[in-house]
Amino acid sequence: MRMFATIAKLLVKRVLTAIPILLLVSALLFCILRILPVDPAAMSLPPNATVQEVEAMRTEMGLNLPLYQQYGIWLNKLFHGDIGRSIHFRQDVTSLIGSTLPATIELAVIAMMVATVFGLAGGLFLFYVRGTRAEAVMDFVSILLLSLPEFLWSLFLLLIFGVFFEVLPFTGRLSPGFERPLVTGFLLFDSLITGNIPTLLNALQHMILPCLALGIALSPSLMRVLRSSLLDAYQDDYIQQARLRGLSEKRILIRHGLKNAILPTLSLMGVQFGFLFGGTLLVEIIYSYPGMGNLMVDAIRNADLPIIQGAGLTYCVAVLVISIVVDSLYLILNPKLRVR
Amino acid sequence: MAILPTKNPILSAQNLCVESVGAKESFPVLTDLNFSLEPGKILGLVGESGAGKSMIGRTISQYLPKGFAVTKGTLAFDGEDLVSMLPERRRNLLGRDIAFIPQEPLSGLNPVLTVGQQIKEHLLRIGLASGENWRERALKEFESVHLPHGAALLEKYPHQLSGGMCQRILIAMAFASRPRLLIADEPTTALDVTIQARIVKLIAEMQKRDGTAVIFITHDLRLASQISDEIMVLYAGRPAERGPAKQLFSSPAHPYTRCLQLANPTITGPRRGLFILPERMPGLRVLKELKGCRFASRCPNAIEACTRAEPPLADIGPNHIAACIRTEKTPDIVPPPLAPGREIASARIHLNGEKLTKAYTTAWSPFAKRSSFKAVNSVDFSLGEGEFVGIVGESGSGKSSLARLVVGLDTPTDGRITLAGRDITANGNADRAYRREYIQMVFQDPQSALNPRRRIGSIVTQANEASGLHNSTRERMDRAAELLKEIGLPPDAAMRFPSQLSGGQKQRVNIARALCTLPRILVADEIVSGLDVSVQAQLLDLLLKLRDEHGFSMLFISHDLSVVRYLCDRVMVMYRGEVVESGRTETVFADPKHAYTRSLLAAVPPDDVNAEWSPVLAEAGYQVE
Amino acid sequence: MQQHAKGRPLPLWLKSGRVQTGLVIIFILVVCAIFAPYLAPNDPNEQNLLSILTPPVWADGGDAMFPLGTDSLGRCVLSRLIFGARVALTVAFTASIGAMIVGAFFAHVAGYFGGWVDWMIGRIVEIWLSFPPVILSLILMVGLGTGLRNVVLAIILVDWTRFCRVLRSEVIVLRRRDYVSAAQLIGFSHWRTITREILPGTLPLLITLMSLEMGVAIIVEAILSFVGMSVGSETAAWGQMIADARQNIYEAPFNLIAPIFAIFFAVFGFNILGDGLRRTLDTRLTQTERT
Repeated sequence: MRMFATIAKLLVKRVLTAIPILLLVSALLFCILRILPVDPAAMSLPPNATVQEVEAMRTEMGLNLPLYQQYGIWLNKLFHGDIGRSIHFRQDVTSLIGSTLPATIELAVIAMMVATVFGLAGGLFLFYVRGTRAEAVMDFVSILLLSLPEFLWSLFLLLIFGVFFEVLPFTGRLSPGFERPLVTGFLLFDSLITGNIPTLLNALQHMILPCLALGIALSPSLMRVLRSSLLDAYQDDYIQQARLRGLSEKRILIRHGLKNAILPTLSLMGVQFGFLFGGTLLVEIIYSYPGMGNLMVDAIRNADLPIIQGAGLTYCVAVLVISIVVDSLYLILNPKLRVR
Repeated sequence: MAILPTKNPILSAQNLCVESVGAKESFPVLTDLNFSLEPGKILGLVGESGAGKSMIGRTISQYLPKGFAVTKGTLAFDGEDLVSMLPERRRNLLGRDIAFIPQEPLSGLNPVLTVGQQIKEHLLRIGLASGENWRERALKEFESVHLPHGAALLEKYPHQLSGGMCQRILIAMAFASRPRLLIADEPTTALDVTIQARIVKLIAEMQKRDGTAVIFITHDLRLASQISDEIMVLYAGRPAERGPAKQLFSSPAHPYTRCLQLANPTITGPRRGLFILPERMPGLRVLKELKGCRFASRCPNAIEACTRAEPPLADIGPNHIAACIRTEKTPDIVPPPLAPGREIASARIHLNGEKLTKAYTTAWSPFAKRSSFKAVNSVDFSLGEGEFVGIVGESGSGKSSLARLVVGLDTPTDGRITLAGRDITANGNADRAYRREYIQMVFQDPQSALNPRRRIGSIVTQANEASGLHNSTRERMDRAAELLKEIGLPPDAAMRFPSQLSGGQKQRVNIARALCTLPRILVADEIVSGLDVSVQAQLLDLLLKLRDEHGFSMLFISHDLSVVRYLCDRVMVMYRGEVVESGRTETVFADPKHAYTRSLLAAVPPDDVNAEWSPVLAEAGYQVE
Repeated sequence: MQQHAKGRPLPLWLKSGRVQTGLVIIFILVVCAIFAPYLAPNDPNEQNLLSILTPPVWADGGDAMFPLGTDSLGRCVLSRLIFGARVALTVAFTASIGAMIVGAFFAHVAGYFGGWVDWMIGRIVEIWLSFPPVILSLILMVGLGTGLRNVVLAIILVDWTRFCRVLRSEVIVLRRRDYVSAAQLIGFSHWRTITREILPGTLPLLITLMSLEMGVAIIVEAILSFVGMSVGSETAAWGQMIADARQNIYEAPFNLIAPIFAIFFAVFGFNILGDGLRRTLDTRLTQTERT
């Protein structure tokens, strides 16, 4: 029980340190987008508006106030869940993000699972064949894979399975004609609880390519880290000592080697999964997947500041949540941080 | 060959050879290994690094490093050949009948599992416990190695325990199955001297209880002679001498054994000079080409005949063999006379510390409160001109922290340091510049103290670079050549990188760098620890020679009491940041006043093999673990 | 003992097959970039509206004038690929050098001085890392506006943390070495200690990271030009070619494959070079590779 108390304490501390980071991130976002040469006031008025009208709008929007005051007002609104209204879509940014975020989360979570499975399996295989010719080959292959980012994998898989073999769909979340249940916005979950099996299957088919692209792109770095962490662990005395106590190699690997090697792998996963969440943006564009990435890119093309700020902030929150989750896993697995 | 037919030996080696098998050629690592170990006996394996002693433990387990293989001979455990045995059968013996104790206790246990999880795994595997009764059994084993609070210990992780405690746990695990053979590979090298004594005594106690045969691997001939029944001295992968422990120690037959003994400074009796073995053990490549005795190039008794053929291991007494053709000449090897006792000319005090205190605090963070502890607590000391002062103490006693204060790497939190009349406590820029003229430091670990990317010539003259004086290449090369000559390295070493030198040579370079600007005071932090006895003797000799030439004084920090006794005029004993005793070396060693000093001295194995070694003093009350 | 330059064997890192492979690939790319006007068969921006979406020369209906076919505006794919190397390599070299300088500077300062300096730099890096790199670079491009110089600037501003994070831990390791203390005792200034004692030790890692960063920079540039936030449409860039080709994915899939392969080829070159350097320059780096 004391263990859980310590973990809880460390976690609370971790969440508390995330708050100032988030504040600074929001300030950064605000500043970057304020140096933009476009005038939000002019953009929200019809093109034939007069200079006086624009000036009135500027005052109304608070654009004539000093920058820190503008930031204060924006932050205050943010706390009340108001990120502003989209200029282009003429809709609340909160509801726009709320309707696209579940799709992105679904994509990211499944991709993370794919990456974990591929990464761990590949790492174990790389370790298993250590010192053989197969290792040299696999090692070379892993560099090849490392040179293909999710962006290229998406296009590549799309070409092969979507265009040449035409076995998998590659646009959107559902084929036309499928009923779309709306409970939480998480399509897989919604169709499962409403018992809509055809929709579930179709949605799964749509997810295969984007998730594979994201997952495969991430797995080589996980593989390589797991392999080198295992090699490091096997240099340590306790492995040799376990052998000298007559434990079987399988037991040594699982109970002694892997339990230690997973720690550095995990801390890399925290960073990589943050990157992966950003990577969904490109995959969404390529697969016309209606998530936050497409929203963001549309907003960028239209210089739609409220959306850019809102979506940017949401991405940061997601990354922080991922790193807190991974950190707590790390805490649970590493006694050196937990007990002193 | 003197392998007498005895009652069934538990382990016997016959003509065992281990080679490192390369793609093109292979080199012998162990040659002509013959021994047999009876149940309940302790065989001490003694040798310097590179002698191949650890390879024997690895050969027994057959977990040889990559590229090594047994190429000849047999190694039988209870009549069964371990080399040709099926791996599955051998694995069954390991942990059950054959147990091991590692060199580094802290890394011998898995850091992410509790002690309980690890001992449970072991007890379940060897079938000593099933289900939940492992706990009972584990506590019983802990009791037998004198580990108190066993139940609480089961929940602990290795990083929460001291090295001595981890080693006790590993010993408890090793003896849990009542093994018939135990291999202890330098089990105390990583531990403090008082803990070393306890651990060695514990191994002997357990061994007696179970009648276990033990192979005790160590570099310390004195220690081996105290606990072993028989000793085998290895030189460059081949036994030089084997015989009953006491006999071998009191009258060594092989010149190498004798030299090894004489290279080690004594802890009791009159001080004597150290025998300096020149150069170092031949490398594998040289050995392969060598015709004659492998020790001949360094042997004081070598004659022409020695270089013609490898001397056989010949009987020289009951159960005593040696690989030397002139064993009768061995007693003629005597240590050089001790340098005449120097009188410290003047009592002029160079360096003075008053009530020096250093508290270390945790890393800076605006949120966390910084906790602090006093590494050095109110220490007074002084250093006279030309004087060598030793600081002894165990790890964590604050001796290295004191050294950092003296050289100015840290600033004291309290107290005063004066250097030749000037107060340098504040450690400002002017103080540093002033101190630099007087004090230089020789660091402990040459691996870390020498920048691997600089050439030796550049390292030893680094001081010129900082002062801007004599900074032309020509001048620096000249100075480097002078310095290398003084420390006994060939001139061409100037162009080499540190990785191309041996451990002893690196430490010489380390000394030369500190000497470059001819400081008046050297601070040396454990500069001979971790080196082989023969290299240690060479370095101690060098330090004395350099003092004669340059007349510097030195603060010499060491955990090794006999080295301090040999080298230093005065000694300070530190314990938990405080100086508990200080005085002239002879006085302190002959008549220690403080209980801690007494327990430190008692922990050192005595020079006389027949003297009783009772390292654990009840009175001390200084529980170090 | 000085060896003569003539008889000196190749340094270890140059003997590695990986390093050689990487250098050959990069050499090919550099030649393409520098001599693009001479190597390209056509003007990359010339539109041949009479022959749009022609397949490569080996396929049915291929035109020898356009060896790799044409895009939807009838521009020569091969010429655009060759000219695209210019943008990719310019970004790769300048952005990675810039990110290296910024990152290495902060890493050495943080690791060497420790204390509050280290704490501050550590927090800044943490803030940076809470932005996914793709998102941050897009937002920066919105703020800075398009154009080659701004692409480079954005990549530097995003990726300096890659260097800072990894190098800082390496500096801290080296900082604890006794030879650094020894240099201070001998009277080296902080600047001299960093440049003469620490920097030579971090250099192998620095070079390795640079090589990998060049690959990353190429990818980021491709991503930015893919979403139309990089160089203007008058300059050929690989990402742009992908975006164009995506419109005609069924008619001319090869137009998509060509730039994908070009990006992969370039990134692979830098990655294999980096991996080879890591292996040969410093074997101890397996520890840091994972951070």
